[in-house]
Amino acid sequence: MGIISLEKSDRLYWLGRYTERVFTTLSVFFEYYDTMIDSDPQAYREFCWQLGIPDVYGSKEVFNWKYLFDEGDTNSIYSNLERAFNNGVALRDELSSTSLSYVQMALDTMKRCGSSRHQHPLLDLQEVIDNLYAFWGSVDDCVEDEECRNIMKTGRYTERLDLYIRLDMDFRWIEKEFMKLRNRITKVQLPYDEPALERIGEIILREKDNWKDNRYVALELLENVL
Amino acid sequence: MFELIENGDQVNKLMARYGVKFGIYKNGQFQEQIFPFDAIPRILSRQEFERLEKGLIQRVDALNRFLYDIYHGKQIIADGVVPEDFVFSSKGYLPQCEGITPPGNCYSHISGIDLVQAKNGTWYVLEDNLRIPSGASYPMIARELTRRVSPRTFAKYHVVDNRNYAKMLQDVMNNVNTGGINVIMTPGRYNAAFFEHSYLAERAKAVLAFPQDLFVENNKLYYSNYTGERQKVGTLYRRVSDEYIDPMTFLPESLIGVPHLMDVYRAGNVALVNAPGNGVADDKGIYYFVPKMISYYLGEEPILKNAPTYLAFYEEDREYILRNLEKLVVKDVSEAGGYGVVFGNRLSAEEQRQLADEIKGQPRRFIAQEVIDFIDLNIVEGSTEVPRKADLRAFVLSGKETKVWASGLTRFSRQADSFVVNSSQGGGFKDTWVLSR
Repeated sequence: MGIISLEKSDRLYWLGRYTERVFTTLSVFFEYYDTMIDSDPQAYREFCWQLGIPDVYGSKEVFNWKYLFDEGDTNSIYSNLERAFNNGVALRDELSSTSLSYVQMALDTMKRCGSSRHQHPLLDLQEVIDNLYAFWGSVDDCVEDEECRNIMKTGRYTERLDLYIRLDMDFRWIEKEFMKLRNRITKVQLPYDEPALERIGEIILREKDNWKDNRYVALELLENVL
Repeated sequence: MFELIENGDQVNKLMARYGVKFGIYKNGQFQEQIFPFDAIPRILSRQEFERLEKGLIQRVDALNRFLYDIYHGKQIIADGVVPEDFVFSSKGYLPQCEGITPPGNCYSHISGIDLVQAKNGTWYVLEDNLRIPSGASYPMIARELTRRVSPRTFAKYHVVDNRNYAKMLQDVMNNVNTGGINVIMTPGRYNAAFFEHSYLAERAKAVLAFPQDLFVENNKLYYSNYTGERQKVGTLYRRVSDEYIDPMTFLPESLIGVPHLMDVYRAGNVALVNAPGNGVADDKGIYYFVPKMISYYLGEEPILKNAPTYLAFYEEDREYILRNLEKLVVKDVSEAGGYGVVFGNRLSAEEQRQLADEIKGQPRRFIAQEVIDFIDLNIVEGSTEVPRKADLRAFVLSGKETKVWASGLTRFSRQADSFVVNSSQGGGFKDTWVLSR
C-alpha cells in the first residue's frame, strides 16, 4: 500500500494503545484478583489508585464484575477492548482478516464471559490474553507495510511505558520500554515532541535513583509526546 | 456434503471469528449482526449456469447501452420504446450526469441481478441492482471457510472456485483506471455493509478510504497520507449512494462525500464504480422495459424472463391490478431492501381499498407482479431440514468484457411463510455452487 491516511494513522496508533492497555491491565488484574481471593479483599482500591481510575466500586465483587465487563464504565477492560476493536475493524485492509480475527475473538470472549456471570475469570479470560498475544504475533507476520507496524508499535510502547510507570513495575522493565519507544518513534513520520521525550529519558535513564519523584512529570510529558 | 452440513455450526463460528456481519439501525441504534449462514449450498449445474450466464451478460450489456443512451441521445425515448415519464420522473435519473461518458464507456461495472427459480425450473429476474449492489463478500468468505470445515466435500464434488471474485473486481477497476491507485470508499464504520467494504479492499488489494481521506485539487482526486504526501486516485469504487458522493453537486448537507468529485469525474480524471446516475436503469418501473431494451439495443430475444409485471401507469394494466389486487404483489418503486413490498392476499379488505386508492392517486409509483411460486431450498433448522423461499443475487462484472461470477449470493427467508429474503429483514444466506462438470 505504502500510503496511510491521517485517519488510519490515528487508528493504528490507538489500536496499539488499546490492545496494550487491555493486555497489561488484564494481566495485572489477574494478580490483584488472586490477592483478593483470600488475602486482601480491598486490594482493588490500590489497583484503581495506581491506574488513576475512580474507585466507584465499593466492594471486590462489584469491582470484579464492573471493571471487567461493564460496557458503561469507560475504564473497564471491556470498554478498552471495544475501542481497540473499533479502531482495528476499520483497518482490515492494512491488518488482514487473519490479524483482525484475534481482536474479534478477544472481544467475543469478553462478551461471552460477561453475559454468563463467570465464576472463574482467571480461567475464562486467559483466552483474551492469548488472543492478544496471537494478534501481535500475527501483525508481525501478516501486516506487509512496515510503517503500519511501526505506528502500531509506537502506540503500544507509549501505552506500555505509561502503564508500567503507573503500576510501579520493576525499573528495568520501565527502562527497557522507554528504549523501545525511543527507538520506534523515530521510525515513523508522526510528529512528536522531541524535547518532551528527551526529558522523559533524563528522568528514567539519568535520574534513576530518585526517578519516582518525577514519575508524574514523566507521565504528563508522555501523554503529550504524540 | 453430509459432513459439511453436519458441521454448519463450525462454519458459523468461523464467520464470527472473522466478523462476517452486517449492520442495521433499530430505534436509532446501530447494531451489528452475524449474517446467518446455512451450510446446504444452492447447486447450479454447469449447463444451467451457462444459460444463466448468457442471459445475464445480455441483460447487463443492454442496461449499459440504455444508460449511455439516456445520458446522451435518448434515442430509446424518441423511438417510443420507453416512455419519458419513466425516465425523467425516476429518482435515479440524475440530470447532473447528462453528457458524461465514463472511462471505458461503462456505467454498471458491478451489477447484482436478483433472480428466482419457479417450480417448473424457469428463472425469472426480479430486480436489477446497478448502483452499488452488495453481497459478494459473503459467499466468498463462506467458500473459504466451508473448504476448511469440510475439505472432503470439495474433493468429491467438482465446484468451480469462487474465490476469484477479488481478482475479477481488481480487473474491472484496472480496466477503467485513469492513472493512479484503486480505492474503495466506505461511508464509515457504521455502514450496514462495512464488513464487505473492508473485506473487498483487503482481497482486491485496494485502499480502503473514508471520505475525509480523499480530496480534489486541480480537477484530480487524491488520497492523502498522514505525512501530507498524496497519491492520485484512478478508480474510486465508492460504496456511497449517488446523492451523497459530492455535496457540491448533490445533497449539500452530505458529510460522507468528496467535494468536487463530480467535476473530476466529468473531466474524465477518475473512474467511478459504479457510475452515478445508474439508478434510472434499475428503477422498478424501468424494469418492465428491460426485455424491450434487449431487443432494441442488441437485436436479440431476451434469454431471461422478467416476472410478469403490470405498470399502474398504463390504464389497462392499472385496471387489471385493481381487479386482481388479492393475487398480486405490489411494489412501491421508490423503496428498496424489501421495503414497500405488499402481498395483496395478506391485506384486509380495508387495507386493499386504501392501497387501491394510492395506486389510483399515484399510478407511476407502483408496479404489480404475479406472485411466482418459486422453489424452496432446504435449510438446517435445529436437527432437521426445512424448506424456505430463496432467491439468487448473481454478480455480473463489466470490464474488458462482461463476465458472470460463477457463484452468487443465495438469500433465504428464515420464516416458513415469508417470501422476504433480505438480510435487513432477518434473512440468511447460502453459498452458491456452480459445478464444473
